Amino acid sequence: MAGRILEAGLHLLDRQLIDRDGRLAGKVDDLELEVPEGGGPPVVTAILAGPGALSRRVGGRLGAWLEAVANRLREGADRRPARVSFGVVKRVDNAVHLSVAKAELETNRLEAWTRDHIIGHLPGAGDAPE
Amino acid sequence: MRLSELLGAEVVDQTGRSAGHVHDVRLVQDGPLMGGFGAGLRVAGLLVGGRAIGARLGYERRDMRGPLLVKLAAGWLYHDGRYASWDRVVSVEPDRILISGSVEDLPEPGAST
Repeated sequence: MAGRILEAGLHLLDRQLIDRDGRLAGKVDDLELEVPEGGGPPVVTAILAGPGALSRRVGGRLGAWLEAVANRLREGADRRPARVSFGVVKRVDNAVHLSVAKAELETNRLEAWTRDHIIGHLPGAGDAPE
Repeated sequence: MRLSELLGAEVVDQTGRSAGHVHDVRLVQDGPLMGGFGAGLRVAGLLVGGRAIGARLGYERRDMRGPLLVKLAAGWLYHDGRYASWDRVVSVEPDRILISGSVEDLPEPGAST
């Protein structure tokens, strides 16, 4: 049986990622393609999200600036964009539905960084209930 | 490789003739199994053309329905659209994709979903 046909730009790029609890978890900014072992056409192995992935599509000065911002938000020498394995994609319709929680995703890094480095240092931040 | 490395790249044949730029990549869900998604998405081919405005509206596909005037205008904007199946891709270089055969042989894009 012939498989479903999608066009990557039209049906996947810029679509919303939705986690298993219905929470918004970023957008599809690029796709990782890999040639399978044994050869043949490339297959989609992951969704790339966040400013690091978007910078390649934007290009030019704005793209370079986005990449610099994304790199500042990463710890250590890790310069990869946030990667969501295609194995956790449940289905694709108007959005891309995932089978995992947002907190388990690399796309959550910006939120976690903001919490730890900015919100956490505000006076009274420790008083907030868990 | 990333999708963004294919999008926008110029498709040329071995004589150096250009078919235009890649404006989208067609995927078919018949690749290796990918967890809960089932069969993975395999790259089937490249949608290529000198002009992309009609394509961005979805009108490079012959089965696309829509307001007649928009369809006619988009059809004119996209009259040079072509499809290069992945088995014709010889190499992917930065901003340039080399295909086998002649760009003249590339068919018009068929229907997708």
